[in-house]
Amino acid sequence: MKRISSLFVYILLSSLIVLNSCSKDDPMPPVDPVKDYVKLASGYAAGAATLVELYGLDSASSGYTKLFVALKDSVTGNYVERAGITLVPMMDMGSMAHSAPVEQPASTQAVNKLFPCSVGFIMSSMGGTWTIAVQVNNLENNQSGMVSFPIHVKESSPSRMYSFTSLVDNSSRYFVGLVEPSDPFVGINDLEFVVYKRQSMMAFPADSSLSISFEPSMPSMGHGSPNNVNPVHIGKGHYKGKVNFTMTGLWRLDLQLHSGTAVADSTHGFDIEF
Amino acid sequence: MVPIQRGPLKTFTMKIWHIPSSLLLCLCSAGMALGQDTSDSLPVIRLSELTVNSTLKNMRGRVQDFVMANKNASTEEILSRLPEINMIRRGSYGMEPQIRSYHSGQTNLLIDGMRVHGACTDKMDPASIYIEPQNLQGIYVNSNTGSHIGSSIGGTINLSLASAMPSCEPYFRGEVSSGYQSASNAFYESAVLQYARHGWAIRANATYRKAGDYRSGGGRVIPYSSNEKLNYGISATHGLTRSGFIKLDVLMDDAWYIGYPALSMDVGRAKARILALSLFDLDIHPNWKQTELKIYANRVTHAMDDTRRVNVPMHMDMPGLSETIGAYASATQVLNKKSEIRWRLDAASTYLKASMTMYPQTGAPMYMLTWPENRMIQAGFGGMFIRRFDSTSSMTVSTRFDQYRYSLESAVAKDQLSVLNMSTSDIHALLKNVQVEYTKKMKRHYRITVSLGYAERIPTASEFYGFYLFNAFDNFDYLGNTSLKREQALKADLQFAYNRKKLHFTWNLYISRIRHLIAGTVLDNFSVMTPGATGVKQYRNLPHATLAGTEAAMMWKPAKGWQWLSTLKYHYGTDQDGNPLPLIAPLRLVSSLRKEITRLSLQAECETASRQERVSKMAGERVTPAFWLIHARASYTFKLKYMEQLRVDLGVENILDRSYYEHLDWNRVPRAGRNFYVMLTCGF
Repeated sequence: MKRISSLFVYILLSSLIVLNSCSKDDPMPPVDPVKDYVKLASGYAAGAATLVELYGLDSASSGYTKLFVALKDSVTGNYVERAGITLVPMMDMGSMAHSAPVEQPASTQAVNKLFPCSVGFIMSSMGGTWTIAVQVNNLENNQSGMVSFPIHVKESSPSRMYSFTSLVDNSSRYFVGLVEPSDPFVGINDLEFVVYKRQSMMAFPADSSLSISFEPSMPSMGHGSPNNVNPVHIGKGHYKGKVNFTMTGLWRLDLQLHSGTAVADSTHGFDIEF
Repeated sequence: MVPIQRGPLKTFTMKIWHIPSSLLLCLCSAGMALGQDTSDSLPVIRLSELTVNSTLKNMRGRVQDFVMANKNASTEEILSRLPEINMIRRGSYGMEPQIRSYHSGQTNLLIDGMRVHGACTDKMDPASIYIEPQNLQGIYVNSNTGSHIGSSIGGTINLSLASAMPSCEPYFRGEVSSGYQSASNAFYESAVLQYARHGWAIRANATYRKAGDYRSGGGRVIPYSSNEKLNYGISATHGLTRSGFIKLDVLMDDAWYIGYPALSMDVGRAKARILALSLFDLDIHPNWKQTELKIYANRVTHAMDDTRRVNVPMHMDMPGLSETIGAYASATQVLNKKSEIRWRLDAASTYLKASMTMYPQTGAPMYMLTWPENRMIQAGFGGMFIRRFDSTSSMTVSTRFDQYRYSLESAVAKDQLSVLNMSTSDIHALLKNVQVEYTKKMKRHYRITVSLGYAERIPTASEFYGFYLFNAFDNFDYLGNTSLKREQALKADLQFAYNRKKLHFTWNLYISRIRHLIAGTVLDNFSVMTPGATGVKQYRNLPHATLAGTEAAMMWKPAKGWQWLSTLKYHYGTDQDGNPLPLIAPLRLVSSLRKEITRLSLQAECETASRQERVSKMAGERVTPAFWLIHARASYTFKLKYMEQLRVDLGVENILDRSYYEHLDWNRVPRAGRNFYVMLTCGF
């Protein structure tokens, strides 16, 4: 009897050890850093010996668009994780051309093998041709080069970015993009806007001079929602607050932008439908 | 406090041990016989002979018997005639019983001891709608606090289900009824079949009702007041070999297009499925009586609908679901000849979910949870200690403890309620109830009863979690509040009774002080969800409120065959600032005179209510005018060769065709005008 019980204990212990070691030794399956993203374009940056791939959360559409640049060594195919990257978006409308608001990668070090950045597509490809030029300074092989590729930008519906001329000076042109909620739900949602000011056709720097208040409502019902938090500037033209949705359907966020106490614009807003 | 028997059982022959426990309770209550051994020296007994004990019935039982003698009366009408009960009316069907102005959230409404939670956020489906008079065995009402059956500040109504009991003499009986009412062009058909033999009994019943839009006094037809429903069930009882019985009850109710003229929506489809399995009258020990153990489950679905309404700004669907499982054990422990304890131990779990989807002309459907998925788990324990000091005085002490837990059952539910900036974590509460009652008999015919109690109740799921529930009564959207405190009540009750052979009279006075009364408070900065609503209210605790009132009932038998029953009720409610509380019925008097000449019964009835000027401005109430009505009823029982009986009930209600509504009728929708009815009942 004693032998049987000690045998039982032995089997139990050894099985535990085997199970434990199994779970430890199991190699982590390699996670593809771009598996959740959509490839928008790719090309070799001549001179940098680097393949440049551009990814988005979805296919590109007008408005504030998060992008991810993946760099691969053209020989080994390995991800390049240290590089300086500069994006230059350009809209060619035939008679004229202009750039767009852009957020360059914050660091030369990749985040999960990718370089996050963004472009505010202020219009869709319906008005012309969008290209994005990517200047790469590969810090792993110390070579640099550039690639440029066309991007098809769909018209967002409902719109995710609008522009207005400030009522304060009747000349300053601002662009307001909706960043969050990107996946709205019934409940308390993060609300994030981004504001850019047009300096020239080629420069759209982030703007932090305005203050934003908003009012959500359901146009088909006429009601709003309680306990919303007006967004405040958190840096780089981004304003964060909270918006509450009490039900699904079409919601309208009416925005009011102030410059000091003067109203800069109160005639625009965003529609969110879910 | 006394459950009253009804139905075809009266003439059945059976062994004494086959008498259902509740009947024993009935016979023994009111006092003296309790605790005495029901001797085996009477092996076979005719129940009709036992009616000598009926003089021990209390007034509530007498009123109930009197009203139930009218075969045309629905369960709601029977309830509304009881001295303590008023009905809140939203349509011609599905009225919400109030006990002494306490609404359904402050009272317990049980079916055969079971909890059945409505699936409607607008209280369109109180559990009483699932009991037809055909399967109603008796009504138990406890208006005092501290009922050991369940925590509440208002009291408990228990509607017990009729069932068949095994019989030594096998029999097969049935009853078929058919009726018609002119005011709503309503048809009523019902059948009950009952078979019993040694060790087994089964009872099946079905009732079908269909009513059109009714005609109010003066001739105006009230749109959206029609309804149609089918109620059916089976009850099977088996006598166990050694002792006791096992019983299975299945009760189902299906309803289609029930109109609620006082609301903005009707009910398209409602279904209830109620199941129970019980063991009872087990001989565990000579000192343990009326033992019962029951497990039960029920499911109610309810779909509100506005497709039949015109001028609907936006079509919407509002389905609701309620699922309850529960169990209870109850028994009476006889301590000695003078004292006993009635115990009850129970637990239940109720899951609720209700949602609303609106369909705008353009754009995506709009969906939200009106009852975010939530579960209430309750476990309670109660005891009622009864002590008789001598033949003239007795004392009762009841206590009840309930542990409650409310929880939100999904992330979606929590996300949605977090919009209101309130806690979405679980809510726990331990409720305590205690009541002391002393009864003293004086000078043979007089009896005085004094009771004092403390009671608590937990807020309802709507009060905790309701999300923009539109209340057509005050035209506000209501929001729940998870930080609500429990309501607490201190109650005092004084009853004076006079009982002679020919005259019975009772007079009750009650007063209660409610702390943390839950009521809607206007939120200024909230926009309404329901198109056309005045504003948004949230449930909050008011500091305190007072409810008081009086009820009197008299049954007089001036001569052989004559019965005169009068009931009077008056309630008074005021909040902490002295403002009247809403939905308090005014003075109401019902007086009926019945003459029985062998098999013919004739009855004249007068019903009146005073003008209600004490109205709640906060709730947008308006003054309700007084009214008085006259009804006439008659019934005749034919003795036929081939069947046990054929009975005809005829009557005219609201003979003067008055256009009237009661103070508790939402949105002042007039009640039915002159109504002729006929009912044929054939028993075999």
